[in-house]
Amino acid sequence: MRLQPQLDMASRKAFLLFFVSLFVSWVSAAPLTGGRILAVIEERSDNAKYSQFLMDLRGRGYDVKLESAKKDTLALLEHGEKAWDHVILFPPKSKGYGPALTPQKLLDFTKLGGNILVLTSPSSIPEQIRELARELDIGLPPKDYTVVDHFNYDTVSKSEKHDVILATRPAVSSAVHNCFSGTQDDLIAFRGAGHTLGNGPLLVPILTAPRTAYAYDSKEDFAYAQDPWAAGTQMQLVSAMQARNNARITLVGSVDMFSNEFFNMKVQRPGSTESRKTANKEFCKDIAAWTFGEKGIVKVNAIRHYLSNEPNAPVNPNMYRIKNDVTFEIELSEYNIDRWAPFKVSSGDSLQLEFTMLDPYYRVPLLPASTSSNYTTYTTSFKIPDQHGVFAFRVNYKRPYLTYIDEKYSVTVRHFAHDEYTRSWDISGAWVWIAGIAVTITGWIGFCALWLWSAPVAAKAGLKKTE
Amino acid sequence: MPSKKNLSTPSTSTSTTTTTSSSASATAAATATPTNPFTILGGIFKNYSRSTPQRTKLIDAFLGFLVITGVLQFAYCVVAGNYPFNAFLAGFSATVGQFVLTASLRIQSNPANKSEFASVSPERAFADFVFCSIILHLFCTNFIN
Repeated sequence: MRLQPQLDMASRKAFLLFFVSLFVSWVSAAPLTGGRILAVIEERSDNAKYSQFLMDLRGRGYDVKLESAKKDTLALLEHGEKAWDHVILFPPKSKGYGPALTPQKLLDFTKLGGNILVLTSPSSIPEQIRELARELDIGLPPKDYTVVDHFNYDTVSKSEKHDVILATRPAVSSAVHNCFSGTQDDLIAFRGAGHTLGNGPLLVPILTAPRTAYAYDSKEDFAYAQDPWAAGTQMQLVSAMQARNNARITLVGSVDMFSNEFFNMKVQRPGSTESRKTANKEFCKDIAAWTFGEKGIVKVNAIRHYLSNEPNAPVNPNMYRIKNDVTFEIELSEYNIDRWAPFKVSSGDSLQLEFTMLDPYYRVPLLPASTSSNYTTYTTSFKIPDQHGVFAFRVNYKRPYLTYIDEKYSVTVRHFAHDEYTRSWDISGAWVWIAGIAVTITGWIGFCALWLWSAPVAAKAGLKKTE
Repeated sequence: MPSKKNLSTPSTSTSTTTTTSSSASATAAATATPTNPFTILGGIFKNYSRSTPQRTKLIDAFLGFLVITGVLQFAYCVVAGNYPFNAFLAGFSATVGQFVLTASLRIQSNPANKSEFASVSPERAFADFVFCSIILHLFCTNFIN
């Protein structure tokens, strides 16, 4: 085990802090990113409609406070700090949320790391939420536009409008971290509004509408869509934005999804003979767990780099030489509901190390070397390029549904010292030219000797004359 | 021999050399009209061995030796590649540098050029040659590492 001597004090402090935090977490049993949830719900009576969802949150250690948006003392921030860790916005009965929940205040809340779960319904998308969505580059439909699907609707609920649509969980992909994939043949009942996503790189879809779904104005009295607002897989049912500070905002088009009614509902696809229970409970738990930072949180435990060939090389030195063989290691953990687990990179994805000076000189894959009970060590070895200067080891891993990893450690790369070059006689290719020099010098000595010996007689005579 | 005459009488060296060389070519032209190239080459060689001072001949032999050494080193570089390049540079430049210095010595010490280097005696020229050669050798052995 390699330890850093210069970080001894720091590690001792971290050790102490670890025990203190262990104690604190045992006392409060709060989730990783804090347990104070503000649920903005207009009428206390509505509370019963979502009791299963809220009870589930409380069961995971959250302290859920139900408040009306109209309450005067309601505030997201207190003395410049978050008054809550997470916010759930249920759709209001009235037109808006009131002065405490303006888009500006919601964004200030996320800037401090607060997470927001926004639940909407077609009949109630307040102007504050529209403005927030515009800021995030999410397109919300006009009032009363509902998603329908004439191929994937629920036949049990007997709605002629086909507005309880049955979506399946997102397909398992080898390229992304599957936070929401779960059991693949789960059916998720959804009744609400879809939305579209802009090109923002921080936006990720969570649940996409089926291919045959479309959104139209449910207040119009047509049996078919006159003017569909969005259709097919370009429409999203649930999507999220993870800000650069890892705060998460999730927008759900259907508040009914989270209701007890939908949690316990039995649904049946058209053409199918058996009715099944929905997977809304598990899926909504997944959504809440991800939004409130119980999933998809990746932590860097340690970073080590050292010379590969020397067994006693110092760890994390400040300086390397060009053409040194270097090994780089990074330990990654992922938080999973209640504990840190080893982080596993998806099979179709690659965790990469960049060795950069302005631009990456190398971009090499980091491969899992060992796994402990709560972290995986990813490692790679490479030869430092033939270029001296100030380089940085950089791990820049930004993937949907995961917190961003951007680690950068700079080191100096010096050139060869004068006595570090290979001697010429150690390289057999140079022997011919060594011989060339030797022959030239020997020939020169012989030439000088002959020259002195063969002084012309007349010159000698002349010299004698002068004497 | 004309060279000895030159050395002994430096003041008239130029005139005598020119006359001797012109007379030599004149005699060559008179004796054998240049029809056969071997005869011409033989004439040149005979003329060279007859009229060149001993030391100049020695220099020429050394120059020939350096040319062969240099050609061999360069041929090896072409055939076997130039790794390690500084070794090639050192070896080849030692030979080429030695050639240049020796050629300079030949120019300065040649009795035929006496008038151009009036202030440089053959001894002085040789001392310069030795000094520069030693510097060259030190440089090359250092550079080859």
